[in-house]
Amino acid sequence: MNSSFSPMRRFSLTITALVALVPALHAAATRPNQPAATPKPAASEVTAASLVRVNSTNQSYDFFRPWTKKAPSFRKGLGVVVEKNRILVTAELVTNSTYIELEDPVTNARVAGQVITVDYDSNLALLAPSDENFLKDAKPLALDKDAVVGDHIELLQLETNGLVAQTPGTITTIAVAPYPLGQLALLTFRISSPIQSRDSSFTIPAVRNGDLVGLLMRYDSRSQSADIIPAPIIAHFLADATQATYQGFPRVGLGYSPTRDPQLRRYVGLKDDGGVYITAIRPGGAAAKAGLKRGDVILAVAGKQINQDGEFDHPLYGKLTFSHLTSTDAKVGDKVDFVVLRDGQKQTIPVTLEAVDRSSIASDPYIFDKQPRYLVVGGLVFQELSRPYLQEWGSSWSKEAPQRLVALDAFQDEDTTPNRGKIVFLSQVFPTASALGYQDLEHLVVSKVNDVPIKSLDDLAKAIANPKNGFHKIEFDDDPPIIYLDAVESEKSDAQIRQEYGIPELKNLN
Amino acid sequence: MSRRCFWVLCLLLAPFACLPAARVADSLVRIQATSQDPNYRVPWAGGNVISGVGAGFIIDSNRIMTNAHVVSNSRFLLVSKEGDPKPYLARVLFIAHDCDLALLTVDDPNFFKGTTALPFGGIPAIESTVSVYGYPIGGDRLSVTRGIVSRIDFQPYTHSGVDSHLTIQIDAAINPGNSGGPVLQDGKVVGVAFQGYSGDVAQNVGYMIPTPVVRRFLKDIEDGRYDKYVDLSLSYHSLHNPAMRRALGLSDEDTGVVVGDVFGGGNSDGVLKTGDVLLAIDGLPIASDGTVKMDSGDPVEMAEVVERKFRGEKVKFHILRDGKEEDVILPLTHSWPFTLQAYAYDEKPRFVVFGGLVFQPVDANFMREHDPADLRLRYYFDHFISDHLYRDRQEIITLSTILADPVNAYAGDFRYSIVDTINGQKIRKLDDLAEALKKPADYYVIEMVGQGRPLVLEKQAVDQARERIRARYGVVNEQQL
Repeated sequence: MNSSFSPMRRFSLTITALVALVPALHAAATRPNQPAATPKPAASEVTAASLVRVNSTNQSYDFFRPWTKKAPSFRKGLGVVVEKNRILVTAELVTNSTYIELEDPVTNARVAGQVITVDYDSNLALLAPSDENFLKDAKPLALDKDAVVGDHIELLQLETNGLVAQTPGTITTIAVAPYPLGQLALLTFRISSPIQSRDSSFTIPAVRNGDLVGLLMRYDSRSQSADIIPAPIIAHFLADATQATYQGFPRVGLGYSPTRDPQLRRYVGLKDDGGVYITAIRPGGAAAKAGLKRGDVILAVAGKQINQDGEFDHPLYGKLTFSHLTSTDAKVGDKVDFVVLRDGQKQTIPVTLEAVDRSSIASDPYIFDKQPRYLVVGGLVFQELSRPYLQEWGSSWSKEAPQRLVALDAFQDEDTTPNRGKIVFLSQVFPTASALGYQDLEHLVVSKVNDVPIKSLDDLAKAIANPKNGFHKIEFDDDPPIIYLDAVESEKSDAQIRQEYGIPELKNLN
Repeated sequence: MSRRCFWVLCLLLAPFACLPAARVADSLVRIQATSQDPNYRVPWAGGNVISGVGAGFIIDSNRIMTNAHVVSNSRFLLVSKEGDPKPYLARVLFIAHDCDLALLTVDDPNFFKGTTALPFGGIPAIESTVSVYGYPIGGDRLSVTRGIVSRIDFQPYTHSGVDSHLTIQIDAAINPGNSGGPVLQDGKVVGVAFQGYSGDVAQNVGYMIPTPVVRRFLKDIEDGRYDKYVDLSLSYHSLHNPAMRRALGLSDEDTGVVVGDVFGGGNSDGVLKTGDVLLAIDGLPIASDGTVKMDSGDPVEMAEVVERKFRGEKVKFHILRDGKEEDVILPLTHSWPFTLQAYAYDEKPRFVVFGGLVFQPVDANFMREHDPADLRLRYYFDHFISDHLYRDRQEIITLSTILADPVNAYAGDFRYSIVDTINGQKIRKLDDLAEALKKPADYYVIEMVGQGRPLVLEKQAVDQARERIRARYGVVNEQQL
């Protein structure tokens, strides 16, 4: 499934609107390929009272010019009313939103909305209306967590007149798969459905018997298959969202490899079936703290045997990647037992699950809803390395972006230096008097400024406050190794940059 | 750039010494080269046999000068003279891939009868007219084009891909078949046509190797061996920033460049240091942009001073180190120490086959042929020198190809991984790998750079698979070191 479910063209076929008045006819007209065997939707129908149109204006920052935002884009989706006057949508719909409009599908009444909780890993967000009364007649949907492969569901869309259009779908595969925004792979239902492009298509609820089975997050029109965020993920998110601090989906912080190769199995002394080989331990992560090591072979997790591909037998879904046990079946703070084979001996190692400590990440895999951090000193622009910065090079960024920075990002977990901090680099130079001769410097990783080691832009801002003998001495992990700036001249240049290059602020350290 | 005195002389003497085209024909040679490029995908097999046509010209001592790329990887060379249908068998005397020049000879003494050895001239003036002789686009008869000298500066030489030398740009197109042909002005060779420009932005651009480069090659081989260019093996940076100059303790005379990186194993290693300010080279003051004024007084890159030297010579620097001025003598004993980024010719690809796994050192030829998408491999290749990856290993050894067999059924994920250790022994070069795989062991545990599982091969399984793989894939040779 390659194409994500993109904001779709306004659907303006008058015929559809006409026949929609008679739901049965509508179904016949718009679902020519529907198999005859598909059962009729059950009695408990979802009505527009459980749905809210969500219109979001999104604007992301330009990481090449972190003081500016890019042009706005617009996304529309269909939110689901859940308990406590909240509206559930995919996080993708409201990521980098500058304004969210909630619209009653029947009355077309509109109020502003606000993101209450967002989780990029599970691609879910909870919205609240600015006006409490907006949802007073709404009917919250309950979750249906029992759907399994082969079950039939309905995908909900709205006609322009507010009537609910249902498209049937069948769950074809259930697996742990990567989610679009974050870095986690989580439980995903793949469904087969002839769903059509329509207004409000960025979030599409999937229901069964009047309960919510999941939210659609990806759709491939050619294969007519879609991925939905299933109810167990939504339940985890909603439960966490009630806590004082949102913790999200825990992760263990390890990488593993299957042990299908019999030569590897014999070498590590695996006599029975199953087991996966730990290839990497994320520095500072839960696995590292628990004492798991590269080369350990994981035999069981939370009492479930792990096969050689890293799967356990799930009572509902069959074979499922074991990370489900630590990400979705558990929450932050839980203790999960790992049984490993180490040096030929079985050992049980309890792992206390953690949320990812974002401050320990050297290069952020994503930055949403936040202005990128930067600092301009005497025309030199410093930033912290992140994946979104590299992604500014376009779809083939991993080939196009500066290879050294790409490598630092891609292989960051291999650096086990304690407290290594962020990767601060000189991203570009504004030609100014103080930066004379430096205008071609770019993409140089900063190691020290005024003899102080730099592990974040905050370090850099502090170090700049203490010039040495009237100079700023800037050292790079790169070539050139050192440059100097005149401390007084660089302050003058900064004032000039603000004016002449039209940069409102010379730093953002938030 | 800096040899205007030469062309002044030429112009003065030349008008009466003009060679008519008929005489040039007595010196021009058509070279038909049959060559076999090495095969970096199936390294035990020979590559494609291809033939090409280039030009050459006769110089003193019964020698024929041409481009290195005309006769690289050659298996069979025929030369013919203009107006003489007979092809003669030729052989390579010397070949210099770093400056794209080669010398051939013909053993049949009849070949040189009636030929004229062309003399060399100097650097032609900008805007002066030159004539290019050769066999463009493969024709059998001599072709002449005229152009004017547009520019004289340092340009990359595409044959090796890493060398830059003085180059003359002319506005006559240089096409395949022109390569190796003489560029004449007033009856003297002022350059050897060698590369064109392909691209959308420019047309009618050709490049020739000027005579200082040619003369250097001819002098280098006088001792019967080509020693290659010597170089400083360091990076330096301009010193234009006033704060930088003051911080380094420089007076504001606009001289000096600062040393950035000193590459391990190069001529400057152990002599110059990062942060040294280079003030003068062989007594010539170095400007803050790294140029010196040689000969005629035109600024020329500091590198030109070293370009003119030969292995075994020295260069003297006046430097500022830790606030004190001093002189250092730098013996030029090596050429550039890292050959992996240069295209190699006339060399057999090196490899080891073990358990159907083909291990190869990564170099420019390998990258051109395999063009691997692997991020780490590309990074290691591109940044081997700049990020000092050479400190950890002499060569990058990768698993390039898997000759599928039950013994390696699960090795697919390791393709283009970089070998780090085998049974705990660090692999710094291909020889280390061959040696580690010869040591008796029950298991060969191959750890790759980065995060992954080890690749484990059982000796017994490898031994059993050996003949099977050799026969099935026609592996005529299991290693070339």
